[in-house]
Amino acid sequence: MDLLHGESMFQAVQQMMHALAEREIRPIAARHDREESMPWDLMKKVRAFGLTQTAMLDARKMTGEEDAPEGDRKPGKSARMSVVGAEELAWGCAGIALALAGSGLAAAPVARIGTEEQKQLFRDALKGEDEHGRVKVAAMALSEPQTGSDISSLATTARKDGTHWVLRGHKQWITNGQSASIYVVWAQTDPSLGRAGVRGFLVERGTPGLVPGRKETKLGIRASETAQVHFEDCRVHQDLMLGGAGPSAGLGDTKKMLDATRPVVGAQAVGIARAAFEHLLERVRAGSLRGAPLGGHQHIAFALAEMDMEIQASRLLVHRAAWMADHRMDNVAMASMAKAHAARTAQAVTTRAMALLGEEALEPGHPVEKWYRDAKIYDIFEGTGQIQRRIIAKHLTGLNAC
Amino acid sequence: MDFALDDEQSLVVSTVRRWSERQLRAWAADADRAAAPPDALWGAAGELGLLVDAVPAEAGGMLEGGAAGYSHLSRALRGLELGRGCAALAALCESNVEPSLAVLRFGAPEAQESLFASIAAGDPTVAVTAHDAAERLEVAAAGDAIRVSGRLGPLPGLAIASHALIAARGGGEPVLLLLPLPAGAVTPISPSGWRAAAWGALELDRAEVPPALVLARGAAAAAAIAEVMSWYRVSLAARALGVASAAIEHAVAYGEERVQFGRPIGRFQSLAHMADENQTAIAAARAYALQAAWEIDRGLPGAADSASRARDLAARVVARATIDAVQMYGGYGFVNDFPVEKLMRDARAFEVLGGNEALMRVLERTAAGGGG
Repeated sequence: MDLLHGESMFQAVQQMMHALAEREIRPIAARHDREESMPWDLMKKVRAFGLTQTAMLDARKMTGEEDAPEGDRKPGKSARMSVVGAEELAWGCAGIALALAGSGLAAAPVARIGTEEQKQLFRDALKGEDEHGRVKVAAMALSEPQTGSDISSLATTARKDGTHWVLRGHKQWITNGQSASIYVVWAQTDPSLGRAGVRGFLVERGTPGLVPGRKETKLGIRASETAQVHFEDCRVHQDLMLGGAGPSAGLGDTKKMLDATRPVVGAQAVGIARAAFEHLLERVRAGSLRGAPLGGHQHIAFALAEMDMEIQASRLLVHRAAWMADHRMDNVAMASMAKAHAARTAQAVTTRAMALLGEEALEPGHPVEKWYRDAKIYDIFEGTGQIQRRIIAKHLTGLNAC
Repeated sequence: MDFALDDEQSLVVSTVRRWSERQLRAWAADADRAAAPPDALWGAAGELGLLVDAVPAEAGGMLEGGAAGYSHLSRALRGLELGRGCAALAALCESNVEPSLAVLRFGAPEAQESLFASIAAGDPTVAVTAHDAAERLEVAAAGDAIRVSGRLGPLPGLAIASHALIAARGGGEPVLLLLPLPAGAVTPISPSGWRAAAWGALELDRAEVPPALVLARGAAAAAAIAEVMSWYRVSLAARALGVASAAIEHAVAYGEERVQFGRPIGRFQSLAHMADENQTAIAAARAYALQAAWEIDRGLPGAADSASRARDLAARVVARATIDAVQMYGGYGFVNDFPVEKLMRDARAFEVLGGNEALMRVLERTAAGGGG
C-alpha cells in the first residue's frame, strides 16, 4: 500500500496482520457467524502469539499521550499502527476482529485515568484462563437501554455507603457482557454535577449484584459477544473508582477517548469494504461473475472504479485522523469524518456487491452477504453517522444542530 | 384516468391488511428464527383464497374467465399488504400464481391437470418461478422433450414445492417449462433473508421434462417468458414496497418514542428528512408498480418493460428504506428483539429474484455500439 511507502515497521505489521486474517480468521468466519460464537481458540492462539488483546486498542497510546515529559514529545506511531492492523483484521472478519480487540475498549479508560493499583488489578484480572479454560476478557459498560447516543444521560447510579459505592442500573449492547472477567462500569455518582458526576468503576466477575444478562442475536458482527449487564445493588470498594477520588477523571475524559477510537473503527469499516471489493474484482478478473467475462462492461467496471475510489478516500481519511493523533493535533472532526465516511463506504460497497453478484449472494454462508450484515453496525456504534455529522458540523459552526 | 379502487379492490386491501397485520406480523419473528413457516399458514392463506386465486373454478380454484380474468392490479394491492406483514410468508402465499396462470395461458391440458391436481391435493405450496437462471441452468432439446442440467435455486418455496416453473431464456433456445420435483430431491437451505420461505436448491443432471410439460419454446417462449416475468416482477415490486412501508412505519413510530438529548430522535432534522425521503420514494415506486399491474391487465405492449423497471425501482427503495430504518433504531436496530433487522435481511432477495433487468436493457441498448 502506497500509504506505507518507505515505512518498514508499518509494512511488517500490515503483513503480519494480513497473514493472521487470511490464514486464521477467514477460514473460521462463516462458522462463528452462523453459530454466533466467540472465537475462543483463536483468541488463545493470538495471545500466545504475544499480541495482547488490549495492545490493539490502547487509547492512551493512540492519543499520543505516552509517558514522555511535556515538551519533549516526538510524534508517535501507535495510532497509525492501530489503523493498519485494524483494517487487515476486519478484512478477515469484523466480528472476529472485534472479539480479538474487545477488551481494549475497557483497557483504554483504565490505561488513561486509572491509578497504578487499578492498572495492576486490571492486568491481573486478564491473566490466565477462566473456569471454561478460555482467555479472560474485559468489558466496557457504558451504554444503557435509554442511553445510546446521548451518553451524558446515564441512569445507572452509584450511591456512597461507607467505604463502598453501590451500583444500580442496566447496561445494554455491552461487548463481552456475558463473558468478561472484569468490567469498567460507568455510573452517575451525583446527578447535580451532570456529566462531571459520571465515574467509572472496576467490577470483577463474581461480585455480588453483578448479573450478566441475555446475549443479543445480532444482524452482523456475530462472532463478537454483545449482552446486557445488570447491577443490582452491586457493592464496589471506593478504591475501585477509576482514577481515585480526584475530580478530573470523569466521563468527559472518556468521551475524548471514544473520539480516539474512531479512526480504528473507521479502519475496520475500510477492511470490510475492501474485502467485498476484492471478492468482486477477483470474480470479474476470472470471468466467473454471472458466468461471463464482464470486466469490459462499464456497468461492472465503473462500479468497481467507484468502490475503489471510495475505499481509497476512506483510508486516506482514516490515516490522516490517526496521523494527527500521532502528532498530538486536535483530530476530533477528522476522526468523525474518517469514521462516518468509512461506514458509508462499507455499506455502499457491500450493498452494491450483493446486487452485482445476483442470486449466488443468497446462498447461505456467502461471504459478501455476511459483510453486508457486518457493515451496518459501523454507522451505529461508537457514535452513529448522525452523531459524527453533529460533531463535524459543530466544529464548523460552533452550534449544536438539531 | 381513475386512481380510485373499486369495491372489490378495496375489500381485498382491507381484508388482507387486517390478516397481514394481525397474523403475519405475529408469526414473522418466530418463523424467521425457526426458518420455517407456521403450519397454520396454509389453512389461513387458503381461507383467504391466496393459494388458489389463479386456479380455475372448474379445477377447484377461484378464477373465472381463464388467465385473462385474473387481476394483476388486485394482486399488487394485496402484495403491498402481505409485504407489510412478512416477506417470507408473503412469498409462500404468492407462489402458486405464476405457475397456475402460465399453464392456463400456455400449457397443454396435461400440464394443467398435473399442476392443478397437486394444488387440489393440498400440497402445501406448489411451484416457484425460476427465471433468468441461464448461467446456472443448461437447457437442451432432446427431441420434443427438454433436458435440464445445473443448479436450480436458491429459490423460495422450492423445498416444499411439487413443481417448479422454469423460464430459461439465456444460452440457446428460450424455454418455458414446468418441472415436477421428485420428493426429497431438493436440498433445503436457509439464507439470511426470507428465512421462513422454505428455500431450496436442486442439482439437476439432464432431468427430462416431457413434451406435455414444456409450455413454450423458441420465439413463442420468449414472448411467454416476458409475460410470466412481468407478473412475477410486479408481485415482487409490490411485496418489496410492503416491506419498505413497514420499515419506515416502524422507524417513524420509534423516532417519536425514543428520546435522546431531550427530544424524540425522529424530530432531529436529519432523521426526519431520512424518513421523509423514504416516504416519497415508496409512494413513487408504489404508483409505478400499480401502473405496471394495470398495464398487464389491459395487455398493453409496454407492460413487461414497466414491470421490470418497477421491480428495479422497488428493490432499490426497499434496500434504502430498510437500511435507514435500522439506522433510526440505532443499537436496537441491530438486534433481533426489534423488527427492522429482519427487514434489512429480507430486502436483498427483492433485488436478486427476477433477474438483473437493468443490465439486460443496457446490454441490449449498447450491443450495436461497438463502432468506436
